[in-house]
Amino acid sequence: MASWDIFCSVVDNYGDIGVTWRLARQLAAEHGHHVRLWVDEPAAFVALCPQADARLKRQQVAGVEVCHWAADWQSEALADVVIEAFGCTLPEAQVAAMRAAARQPLWLNLEYLSAEDWVVGCHGLPSPQGQGLQKYFFFPGFVAGTGGVLRERELLARRRAFQADPAARRVFLAGLGITVQDQARLISLFAYENPGLGEWLDALAVDPQVTQLLVPRGRILGDLRQWLGEAGDLEPGFMAQRGNLQLQVLPFVSQDDYDRLLWCCDFNAVRGEDSFVRAQWAGRPLLWHIYPQEEGAHWEKLDAFLALYLQGLSPAAAQALHELWRAWNAGAGMGAAWVAARPHWPEWREHAEKWCAEQASRPDLAAALEQFYQESL
Amino acid sequence: MKTAQEMKANSVALIDGHPWLIQKAEFTKSGRNSAIVKMKLKNLINGSKTETVYKADDKMEPVILDRKEVTLSYISGDDYVFMDPEYNSYELRAEDLESVLPFIEEGMTDVCEAVFFEGKVISVDLPTTIVRQVVYTETAARGDTSGKVMKPAKLRNGTEVKVADFVNIDDWIEIDTRDGSYKGRTQAPQA
Repeated sequence: MASWDIFCSVVDNYGDIGVTWRLARQLAAEHGHHVRLWVDEPAAFVALCPQADARLKRQQVAGVEVCHWAADWQSEALADVVIEAFGCTLPEAQVAAMRAAARQPLWLNLEYLSAEDWVVGCHGLPSPQGQGLQKYFFFPGFVAGTGGVLRERELLARRRAFQADPAARRVFLAGLGITVQDQARLISLFAYENPGLGEWLDALAVDPQVTQLLVPRGRILGDLRQWLGEAGDLEPGFMAQRGNLQLQVLPFVSQDDYDRLLWCCDFNAVRGEDSFVRAQWAGRPLLWHIYPQEEGAHWEKLDAFLALYLQGLSPAAAQALHELWRAWNAGAGMGAAWVAARPHWPEWREHAEKWCAEQASRPDLAAALEQFYQESL
Repeated sequence: MKTAQEMKANSVALIDGHPWLIQKAEFTKSGRNSAIVKMKLKNLINGSKTETVYKADDKMEPVILDRKEVTLSYISGDDYVFMDPEYNSYELRAEDLESVLPFIEEGMTDVCEAVFFEGKVISVDLPTTIVRQVVYTETAARGDTSGKVMKPAKLRNGTEVKVADFVNIDDWIEIDTRDGSYKGRTQAPQA
């Protein structure tokens, strides 16, 4: 058993803490490590893990020691592995302690997930930090030569068992106040602000198939409220009907419940990194709202993922899905793109399972980190 | 100190007391507006080579280098010989010129800068803008004159660059050597 310190700075969403919390749990549960997760915004952590207490400086949750990374952070006993998540800057005291140690810990910068070609060439490379201190860049990814993506050992078995059990699905959804209508298509929606939402909702409202749109609390609610013409904030439990579209606002759910929600839905609109990966493991068609970057750098990342993800689809389906994803991220043209994608639904559904299986054939991120650590010894 | 992003190819950084020549530096946006720089480094003491990655805003210690104007004298296999105005010649291997090699060709007249570390030539910098002749490219198919539609074109030394669709065989073009990008069509350099 080794000791791991994971440092997470919450920037503006739940993506950083979402990924690091999953990773911490998996390293503890599946690899038997002692894991400390340092988070600078405990409130963000509690949103994902409601059983935790944001007031505590240190607490044991799901086999992980979760600690508040305060501004006056003091060095503790050095771990065997130190992860700075997404390039967050480690406390000076931590770097000084590592520099002074007789045996330096393995220092890793866990980077953002990207499907771009350059990732393979950068994954695992050293980054000398002076005075003999070495850091390594660790890149998650979708192809051989990268660090893979997070996937718990039993995740797909649990997902398939759940999806094969209509009663479990019904009970879970009922717990969120959702009653599924006969023949309704379930769609989950988790996205950044998106001016293209209205066009999509217009299309869903006149779609011949009934849609139940489930919207956990998040940044998209403002656009939803505007489309509905509601004056006040939309709170969990809010429901509305427009044509063949029923909308329902859900509370912000725990990671485990969010997984189940994705598994229940026929189509999942997700955002950022963590929910994006989880939607892939759901084995259902998905729509990704990528984190918008300066100078439009996110478009290359979106296209790089699509270049991988769309492989194996018929040209017509690939083009329709490509246009749908681009329309969603451009915030325009969603109505037409949705209608154009609809005929390809059966093919897309089958493809989503194939993609999931293909990705599951690669080592997951935690296993890849474990291997990297073992090879460093 | 300079940031990793400011350290360009053919500069030298002091890392753990050793001077490392940055043979290649590639800047990439990673995620959420952060960026990284991948570098190919050569140790100027023992000749060893390595690849590294830095956050774009990581601090690095630059080494001040001597520079001297030179022009290409001749190429012999993997050896590239440059000459200064006093007729001193400086020989470099192709591997020492990695970042500029795609734009070096026999007969070029560009005034370059030889880079010296402790009196020894370690690399050569090209001017930011160079002029090269296109020896092959497909004929413009769409009649585009905006310069926005690009197509591949081959230079005399075999290097392929993206050029505007209206560029023809034997045309002379300007290239930005920092990123290899096409800048525009131009006149043949005066002999």
